[in-house]
Amino acid sequence: MRRFNSQTLILIGATLFVLYLAGVPLLMLLYGSIRSAPIGEPGAAYTLDNYIKAYFDKEFYLLLLNSIYYGLGTCALTFVIGTYLAWVSERTNTPFKKIFVVMSLIPFIIPGILSTISWILLLSPKIGLINLVVKDVLGLESAPFNVYSMWGMIWAESIHLYPLVFLLMSAAFRNMDTSLEEAALTAGSSTLTTLWRVTLPLMRPAMFSVLLINFVRGIEAFEVPALIGVPAKISVFTTKIFLAIHQFPSDFGLAGAYAVTLLAISTTGVIIYGRITRREERYATVTGKGYRPRVIDLGAWKYFTLGISVLIFLLAVILPVFVLLWSSFIPYYGVPSRELMAKMTVANYQYILNYPLALTAFKNSFYLSVGSATLVMLLTSIIAWITVKTRLPGRALLDNMTFIPIAMPGIVLGVSLIWVYLTLPSFVKNYFGEYASKPFEIYGTIWVLLLAYMTKFMPYGIRAASASMIQINKELEEASLAAGGTWFQTFRKVILPLLMPGFTAGWIYISIIALRELSTSILLYSYNSTVLSIMAFDLWEGGQYTYVCALGVLMVLLLITMAFVARKLGARIGIAE
Amino acid sequence: MADKRDMVQIESLEKYFGEDKDRVHVLKGITLRIPEGSLYTFLGPSGCGKTTTLRCVAGLERPDGGRISIDGHTVFASGERVYVPTNKRPIGMVFQSYAIWPHMTVAENVAYPLTIQRRRKDEIKKRVSDVLKVVGLDGLEDRPAPKLSGGQQQRVAFARALVNEPKVMLLDEPLSNLDAKLRVQMRSEIKSLQRRTSITTIFVTHDQAEALAISDQIAVMHGGKLIEVGSPHQLYTRPTRKFTATFLGLTNLIEGKVVDVDGDSRPGKLQTKKGLLSFIPATPLKKDQAAVISIRPENIPLHKVKPEGLDNVLEGTVKEAIFMGDAYQCKVAVGDDVLAVHTHPFNAVHPGDKVYLHLDPGSCNGLPADDTEGVDETMLGD
Repeated sequence: MRRFNSQTLILIGATLFVLYLAGVPLLMLLYGSIRSAPIGEPGAAYTLDNYIKAYFDKEFYLLLLNSIYYGLGTCALTFVIGTYLAWVSERTNTPFKKIFVVMSLIPFIIPGILSTISWILLLSPKIGLINLVVKDVLGLESAPFNVYSMWGMIWAESIHLYPLVFLLMSAAFRNMDTSLEEAALTAGSSTLTTLWRVTLPLMRPAMFSVLLINFVRGIEAFEVPALIGVPAKISVFTTKIFLAIHQFPSDFGLAGAYAVTLLAISTTGVIIYGRITRREERYATVTGKGYRPRVIDLGAWKYFTLGISVLIFLLAVILPVFVLLWSSFIPYYGVPSRELMAKMTVANYQYILNYPLALTAFKNSFYLSVGSATLVMLLTSIIAWITVKTRLPGRALLDNMTFIPIAMPGIVLGVSLIWVYLTLPSFVKNYFGEYASKPFEIYGTIWVLLLAYMTKFMPYGIRAASASMIQINKELEEASLAAGGTWFQTFRKVILPLLMPGFTAGWIYISIIALRELSTSILLYSYNSTVLSIMAFDLWEGGQYTYVCALGVLMVLLLITMAFVARKLGARIGIAE
Repeated sequence: MADKRDMVQIESLEKYFGEDKDRVHVLKGITLRIPEGSLYTFLGPSGCGKTTTLRCVAGLERPDGGRISIDGHTVFASGERVYVPTNKRPIGMVFQSYAIWPHMTVAENVAYPLTIQRRRKDEIKKRVSDVLKVVGLDGLEDRPAPKLSGGQQQRVAFARALVNEPKVMLLDEPLSNLDAKLRVQMRSEIKSLQRRTSITTIFVTHDQAEALAISDQIAVMHGGKLIEVGSPHQLYTRPTRKFTATFLGLTNLIEGKVVDVDGDSRPGKLQTKKGLLSFIPATPLKKDQAAVISIRPENIPLHKVKPEGLDNVLEGTVKEAIFMGDAYQCKVAVGDDVLAVHTHPFNAVHPGDKVYLHLDPGSCNGLPADDTEGVDETMLGD
């Protein structure tokens, strides 16, 4: 009697697709790590040498310590900054808070490679703007700050990553049933106690997913460790893997062994996360009763919160943006002076726009970022629904599978995908004929980048989607079923619109990180599929600081436009703000 | 009334929650028949399984055993592996939280069951405005859902459940989120709405006053079992189970042993600590069986002078007398026990007064004392 229903079919479809996106590269990675030579090369055999070589090296433990230190530092610092700003903007009457909503997204919009460069230009002991000014003002002998240190790295990374915390925590604050807080206030607890005892515990699932994402983001970060860590001789896993591949001859096996270690660390994180969020009902904070955001009157304290916000804004936005803008308009790098002001020019922009590949790179980046963000959010919303709301068997596995790519540093994903798309077409051709192999012959095209981006950004999509999904009360969808809606109608008409704030936040995030993606693209691009971040990397490698800055400003303008449009569209489809 | 067919039939419904060690048996063979056009209430304390039973009818929970049919069609049968999904059942449901979608207006919420069936625009518009008129919300079509009061949200939930003309309306504690005044008003509105539409309605509540006021039939549930079914009047005046007597309204229980009984409607005699008392058995009782007399406080006349020539008169002392306007609520000590007695306000009593209570045998409901069938002690905690 019981036939396959649409729900089961969608589950199977989503599972197969996720398996293909996440599972195949993972298998290639695991397989590669126990081979003595790269796939395709003759004379390869199974071996554990890669792991022995990695784990019996004293450097490995230094690396592990550095990575964890870096990851924890980054997630702690980003969490404090991001949550503070989210709370101020969503829940307090701090003056000008709406401005911060827009402003605190700016560092996020600045591609990693550019924000790293901006902090080198600000905090380098030799040429750093801040160092030069402070030295001059206080009459110091040596530079007070050194970006080429662990804390320099954590700082540069955190300023780059905190907007993610801000976006996700804002959505969580916005979606919370404020009567829960009001109940605490009426029970006699103060604003601060309420925040501490009620608001934050209620947001625990959102908070832990944010912390988890940022720890792993820190550990798998590439730009800051490559541009600051390498010259400072502070190695972390990603740079070690990068160097293992970029040395001659490349040591794919060793890189794989390191990557598998990273995978183990993040898998532990996922398991802990799963334990914490299992009690979903307890935290279902959006109910059908309709919620109205409640604003806390801070009294005179609002000037204090404003002050801190302005300070964060100054450090995280004004200084980096200023140094990038300034550098993009001057013919050669230097401290602002009347002499240099007189020489300001738009020549850098003219150079970039006339650069042979510029138009291709702009187009490719735009298509990839919009395409991957949309596809990932659609896919992950379906998966989040399955994993959070249904009791279908295998859903936990699906959730974990979707999260797997977060453990794959971009550079290793790139290597895995080279292997996949160099070997898969001939494999399919052998077994299923020439016609079947056509869709897999995408090596060197923009399609391989799209698949790479989808794989890479799926974990962020699933976190954003399931964080919002967890907060939707079950009765809202049961009401749709009771009204005669099918599963698909319920998803499209009830769940999707309610997910819209989280969906939009996730979309904005993914489209932005897709536009600045560097570490995977650098191994997969070809002449025709060049993207903007590759172009920037090439210019930086060539020492053309001022050109990089001009390109960066153009990228940022494109990103701001996209984020703005996304927010407008999101508001129209979902709950009007 | 008698030849009305059954709209919903539930047979030996079984349901477990949790897995393995944490498995809890929440429905233990519930069997019910709900007549067409009636307002039928599932009443019981929290954890009794009333909401779970309702959700099984809706198809939101999948039972582990038994059979459910709606309007003659089987929607669930464990043996035959029949399971009609919620959206294919001819139901309308009002949720405890109302589940009004916050991203839609009033009209969009109400129109939803029709929109997803792709009905014509003008038909939808007409039906929505008709049903909004029925629930008294006409003119609020374009109001966004979060801008509604609790009572309005509830009306929207009702309109949404009604708009598709369901065979069965399912109401899951719809009044529990309202303030007392609104609750009383809404409950009579529900009742009159049900009368007008004559849609078979299942109403779930833990509030016995609500159940008495609104229902045609009440199914009293406890510990995952059905205790007793009857009309409000039947259940209040002549409950056949001790649980029903204590759960519905206030009652006094006097324990004893049956010394004389003859059929189930003629008076019997119970040997109690207060002497031999006459009662009417509510259910067949045997000689020497442990039994209780259940008598409501308002059915005990209180005399200042010992009445002559009457059976079942007890002597006691007033411990407490609270003037409630329409009655004095008294606590009267009789031997070691305290009986609750409500008297007419003209009959003023004061603590310390010596009084005589007349337990009219006609009001003394005889029930088995060891009536634990269906009352699972482990469920009493919650």
